[in-house]
Amino acid sequence: MRIVAGCDVGSLTSKAVIMSDGKIIASSIIKSKARPWESAESVMNEALQKAQISMNNIAFCVGTGYGREKIPFVNEISSEIACHAKAARWLIPNARTVIDIGGQDCKAIKLDEKGNMVKFITNDKCASGTGRFLEVMAKVLGVGVDQLGELSSKSKNPITCATACTVWAQADVIQHINDGVPIEDIAAGINTAMAARMSVLAGNIGVEREVCMTGGVAKNEGVVQALEKILGVKIRRIRNADPQIAGALGAALIAKEKLGEDK
Amino acid sequence: MTAIVTNLQEVLSQPQNKLIERALANKMLPVGYACSMVPIPLLSIKPLFPVRLRAAGITSTELGDLYLSSVICSLSRSLLEYALSGEYDFLRGFVFVASCDHLRRLYDNLAYCQNVSFNHILDIPHRYSEASVEWTIDEFQRFAKKLSSHFGIGIDNECIMQAIHKKEELHAILRRISEMRKLPHPPFTGTDYHRLIVATQIVPIDDAIQLAKEFYEMVTQRGKVPPQRARVMIVGGNLDDPTFTEIIESQGALVVADRYCTGSFPELEPYETEGNAFEIMAKRVLALNRCPRMMEGYSTRLEYILHLYREYAVDGIIIESIKFCDTWGVETSAMVTQLREMGIPVLRLEREYRLSGEGQLRTRVQAFIESMGK
Repeated sequence: MRIVAGCDVGSLTSKAVIMSDGKIIASSIIKSKARPWESAESVMNEALQKAQISMNNIAFCVGTGYGREKIPFVNEISSEIACHAKAARWLIPNARTVIDIGGQDCKAIKLDEKGNMVKFITNDKCASGTGRFLEVMAKVLGVGVDQLGELSSKSKNPITCATACTVWAQADVIQHINDGVPIEDIAAGINTAMAARMSVLAGNIGVEREVCMTGGVAKNEGVVQALEKILGVKIRRIRNADPQIAGALGAALIAKEKLGEDK
Repeated sequence: MTAIVTNLQEVLSQPQNKLIERALANKMLPVGYACSMVPIPLLSIKPLFPVRLRAAGITSTELGDLYLSSVICSLSRSLLEYALSGEYDFLRGFVFVASCDHLRRLYDNLAYCQNVSFNHILDIPHRYSEASVEWTIDEFQRFAKKLSSHFGIGIDNECIMQAIHKKEELHAILRRISEMRKLPHPPFTGTDYHRLIVATQIVPIDDAIQLAKEFYEMVTQRGKVPPQRARVMIVGGNLDDPTFTEIIESQGALVVADRYCTGSFPELEPYETEGNAFEIMAKRVLALNRCPRMMEGYSTRLEYILHLYREYAVDGIIIESIKFCDTWGVETSAMVTQLREMGIPVLRLEREYRLSGEGQLRTRVQAFIESMGK
């Protein structure tokens, strides 16, 4: 079994996954740099180091993400939509709906019973309903973006965030801080606003079980629970990998297929 | 890159291109129009020549936004911006059709903001019937009189028929070129074809015929374009920027068919070349059923798309519409569902008039091709 890799250069973070024998042997996540090729090289070097191999050991590598066309070492590129669909099926074998919230976009993907992508929808150009939205709000609250989920679980009286527009919501949040609203309640309101925005996209393609969530925001339990409530379906948690590496994982799975080792 | 493609790019790069400069030097009078339902032969009676309004390379619409609200489509706002910035100062007049509220507002604001010496809006019925043909003939005759008195030109049946024959001469060449798109491996890309089609809408007819001839010569001498992953058709409203097609093709698609306002079909359907010119124009404008503004024509529009889909061996359809376009926005919703139910892969793209969100467009098109298993 040859070694394959996937490299996902996103707008906020870059991810790399190395697989052998159908298993993830190394993965890495870094903050994206200004130039996509630099991000790609850094994240891949980090993953290679963890796997204790060199690039020469990689039989096939697929690139994805917004910087995919600028990655120098990949054999092929694929859209992140196809990669997330592929990864979702590997992570949750009977997944039919994939919700991915990335740094600057979000998407909902519908799969058929064989895992083929049949429909997808992405957000508009603005950053509402994306990881960037949470990042801005966390900064206003003075907490880390990874703390938002935990904070919202402690909320007793969540605020209603009237808008998912990053600019207006920021003003809203500042107003609530000034009014002395507990930070937990603000965090819960932010997560719900995010989920509400995402539910519009998901509703557009028609949600079917099993529902799987990928991307960094899937680690925010507050958003996941709010989305479950709005959509009225249980979202299957990913246990066997970090949901944030799903794009790179899907790329590695496609690389495996390209070698003819898997279908 | 061949000389003709470079030439087309140059023509498309700015409103007052070198061919228009030459026409102006020859005392020809360019008249701008902004809807496919304008009777083009009337604007082609010498010394007039029609110029389809576009806002090539526009980057922002500050002035347009002052006069038009944000729910008016970005095409109208871009065209107003261009007019207010003086980009259309070379035009001797404007002609619109009351096809949608957005173009009506453009017409109103143009009249309000600028001292336009000739600014006309045509009232064309939304149904095709005997009565609507009569109405349209009457409307075109009044329009012809206005043109005649304003520009001091004689307009009769004979000169309009001459203009129709000239248009048909151009269409015949374009149809021959379009036929090649049916080949398994056409000798040109959809982007180059798009450049040609748009260029023929913004230069005098003799120059358009020359461009088409040169393009035809080029493609008959050139080899095939490398095989692409999927054959795609673009359907929708106004799309006059070939860069959009270029981005679609950069993801491995080959655009082999089109059915949009500024594209080749149904515009290239043959003209009647015998009979009363006003009746020919009226029937054509109403019967071509090119815009969803035409009531009770949905099924024939869908049938026409399916006909092109089969004729050009299309793998998937991309339906594009400009945000807030009432006519195409509504039409698209029903059409996407129906086409998908027939098992045809469809990608719906809502976009701004000027190219933006390029990265997302690339991703969506690539994912669309992948979803077709290509």
